[in-house]
Amino acid sequence: MKKKVLNVLLKLLLKLLIAAVAFFVVTFTVYIFNLDMKATSLLAPYLEKWYDKLPRKQYI
Amino acid sequence: MKTVEKIVNPVKRAGEESPGKIYNEKLKVRGRREWRGLKDTLYDYSRWLYLISVLGRFIIVPRNVKGFFRYRWMMSYLFVPHGMDKFTIGLRDEALRIAHTSFNFVIADVTQAIANCFRGDRRVGNDKAYSDKCVITDENSMVTFMMGFDKEKVHTILREVPTMFASNIFHQFNVMHYLDIAQQYGIPGDVCPMPEAEAGISIDDDFCVLGCCAVQNNTTCDGSLMGNGIIAKRLEREYGIPTFQLATPLRHKEPDVLEYAAREIKKAIAFVEEHTGEKWDWDRYFAAAKRVNDATRCRIAQLEINSTPYPQFFGAAFSLYNDTNYMGNSGRDPQFVKIDHKLLALAEQGYREKRMYAKEYRHRAIVWGVQPQYIIDQLYWLLQCWGVMPLADMLSIINTDMIADEDTPANREQAYRDMAMLNMEMIMRNHTHGGYKVLLDDLWELCEKMNADMVMMWEHMSCKALTGMHGMFEEQARERGIHIMWVSHDLCDPRVFTRQAIRDQVNTYMRTVMREEPLDPSLEVIPDSEAY
Amino acid sequence: MRDLKHLNYFEKLLQEANNALITQAKKDGKVCVAYTCENVPEPLLNLDGAFSVRLTAPNTGSMDIATYYMTNLLCEPSRALLERAIEGGFNFADCVITPDGCTMMNRAVENMELLKTMGKDNPRFFHEYMEIAFKNTESDVELAVLQCTNHILTPLHEKYGIDVSDEAIRKAVAEHNKLCRLVRAIGEFRKGDKPRITGYEFHVLCLATYVCPSYLVLDKLEETLEELKTREPEEKPWRARVLLVGSEMDDSGFVKLVEECGAFVCCDRFCFGSYPGRVEIELTDDEDALTQVCRHYIQHCQCPRMMNQEKVYGRKQYVAELAKEYGADGIIYEQVKFCDPWAYERTLGSAMLSNDYGYPVLSVDRPYNIASSVGQMRTRVQAFVESIEIKKIQKGGRA
Repeated sequence: MKKKVLNVLLKLLLKLLIAAVAFFVVTFTVYIFNLDMKATSLLAPYLEKWYDKLPRKQYI
Repeated sequence: MKTVEKIVNPVKRAGEESPGKIYNEKLKVRGRREWRGLKDTLYDYSRWLYLISVLGRFIIVPRNVKGFFRYRWMMSYLFVPHGMDKFTIGLRDEALRIAHTSFNFVIADVTQAIANCFRGDRRVGNDKAYSDKCVITDENSMVTFMMGFDKEKVHTILREVPTMFASNIFHQFNVMHYLDIAQQYGIPGDVCPMPEAEAGISIDDDFCVLGCCAVQNNTTCDGSLMGNGIIAKRLEREYGIPTFQLATPLRHKEPDVLEYAAREIKKAIAFVEEHTGEKWDWDRYFAAAKRVNDATRCRIAQLEINSTPYPQFFGAAFSLYNDTNYMGNSGRDPQFVKIDHKLLALAEQGYREKRMYAKEYRHRAIVWGVQPQYIIDQLYWLLQCWGVMPLADMLSIINTDMIADEDTPANREQAYRDMAMLNMEMIMRNHTHGGYKVLLDDLWELCEKMNADMVMMWEHMSCKALTGMHGMFEEQARERGIHIMWVSHDLCDPRVFTRQAIRDQVNTYMRTVMREEPLDPSLEVIPDSEAY
Repeated sequence: MRDLKHLNYFEKLLQEANNALITQAKKDGKVCVAYTCENVPEPLLNLDGAFSVRLTAPNTGSMDIATYYMTNLLCEPSRALLERAIEGGFNFADCVITPDGCTMMNRAVENMELLKTMGKDNPRFFHEYMEIAFKNTESDVELAVLQCTNHILTPLHEKYGIDVSDEAIRKAVAEHNKLCRLVRAIGEFRKGDKPRITGYEFHVLCLATYVCPSYLVLDKLEETLEELKTREPEEKPWRARVLLVGSEMDDSGFVKLVEECGAFVCCDRFCFGSYPGRVEIELTDDEDALTQVCRHYIQHCQCPRMMNQEKVYGRKQYVAELAKEYGADGIIYEQVKFCDPWAYERTLGSAMLSNDYGYPVLSVDRPYNIASSVGQMRTRVQAFVESIEIKKIQKGGRA
């Protein structure tokens, strides 16, 4: 019984470890290659067009 | 001419030597992040994760998504990590930690400010009960007159900070749209672009609309004072938000203006009480006053560290934190105290270790004038490219006097004068206004105190208070044997001076006048002028 | 119209900052109090034994030295004054009183002080800087009283022995009022379809009252007033009547240029103009004269430096009322280049006068000396006059 619990716990720990490593690998890759800002940079022109199209009550 | 002893860094910098060549011109961002050695890269990565989590927590709230798609300036906040990289370029060890601690705290503060704006905004969250307890203030406003109010019950909304000031930090082109709008409606292009952009935001109807009342201030300059009139017109006439103009005397060193300034503070407090229904609490005020004094003591200690051969506080992130603490907080939030002490502890540790942040320290410079250094990584660059250590900048040289922080009947009257004094000696205007002595004499005293041989003088094209003393700076620097390096810029319009055009002024001065070669030639030209 | 008898005399006075009447007043043993802003209460500078001169730099050409000291980003009037001071053009002054009204003018005078441009042979010479009011409240009046006491009355008394008593102030106010009455009475002849004085002529006369010792121009102004009563107006009607509103204006050439384009300048609402600078000060016996003088200046002040919204809206209301009173067809909002306060005031004012009050508005910036940019300005004004005429035709009468 004890062994079984230990096995489950170990498996869980392993999964958590794999998840943590995967999280680290993915996020660190995004971080080091600046993928977050590159994606944002690609998105920015479309956003600008969106804001340009918004109706505004412009006056002084 | 005055000279200082050159200090060579005995320790080789961890990670890559030069952070200058990592821009991707096409994408207008860095091609990759800097490798700072394992320890510092992992630290930087952890801070990046933290920032992403702050932004993530913000954007999962539906009304914030709505606000994101309503307000053009929100686009800038997608570039917060880009801003973080700008403020930490080339940094290692304690300096990296100081920059991150300052910057992350400011970001959390600004994010909260945006969330608050959207919550009360009539177009987005429309939480009327919340909005009815909000007081709108200017971007360049000391909030001393809010020190005695319960911040959980009366919310101070520095509406222009997230809209204009902070958004411009992360995206250098973002304000251009508002400048164009303002000029389209007739405001000339030769006024300071900061209040002009704020007026442009108002004309473009791109401010959040919330609050039971607003308090405007004439701190900073003529342009700021005048831009308020345009903003107040819309606030009052279209949105029905009563607006109080808190007059702050300009000649703040003259004792005969203090009582007037104190009366204005009293009126502002009465105005807030009237419109929010909340009462001023002296216990709360004096508790905040204690925190103001604590921050002042920390600031004095920071300056002392920087006057040694091993300065630890430099760069825009720290300066930005200082501004936020002094002006936007004014002792109201206890969290700043913790950060103040953490920053000081980091600096003390760096000082003990004799930590240096460039290959050589060749010159010690005071950075004076109105700065665009939140938009450009100029101070870090100056250090790493040319070995010029920026010891203190004008906006961080603020009040060093203690205010009354014990609750006595006499101190309650003194408190109004203290608040008035802090208000009058607000960031920047404490040097740009109040007579030439605070602009000229204070600088030379600081050079002496900090053992500086050089002044990097930001010449903001539209700052008349500064440029009006151009010749006197030149003459007096010459008399004192101080090198004065003029760096022109246009606070938030990169069309006037690009980042490289700003740097080139330093490059030219250092090569032709100082006849020096750069510490890191790869940094002389960085292809970031088109970057966000 | 036949030329005014004394017009040439006044025009000549305006050609030099150090004009003949200043020399005469100095010979009379009077103390010359120079100042640079409309927010300084004039009567306090004209107490017995003293006379005021608002500094100008007529016929300004090169401003190279001042531009070195203040860069080319500051407004031309501030640089022109500094240049003139460096050249020694203001050596007649026994003191300079400067309010911190706008940054640029304040910096100009600070440069004058640092460069020791004046007072070399006068050990009693002094510079004083004043804080001025921001709003029209009693608290601001209190501030103004303190500032006038500390930065005008006390130094004048201590350095030059000027009598600054309540009685002396009342006497100075009475003389000031006499001048105001004369200027305003002359200005009344601008009303009606056939004005008996041109905007240019009026500006020359009015300007002289600021830059000359006022007690020495009274007789000529009185004669001019009498002359106007019987002066035959021009038969040919003006193409349009315009109200000129704006910043510091000591260049009569600008008014002349506007009138050469066919637009009669029927009223002047600018620094060095008669509104509000030549509005009489009403004194009562219930309160000390100094407080009342300060209150008058604060209540009547039309400077954009006044920041409360009552004043912000009030300034536009004031312009609209003047336009109505003087029958203006249109309004010209002018601003000296690089002037921050008027940059915003001109923008908001021209928008409000057009949108809220329905006046055609021309909004322009200009150099200090219009002679340097005649062509551009003439084109703008001509186009404005034509647009007013077209509006008149469309409406079948007034614009």
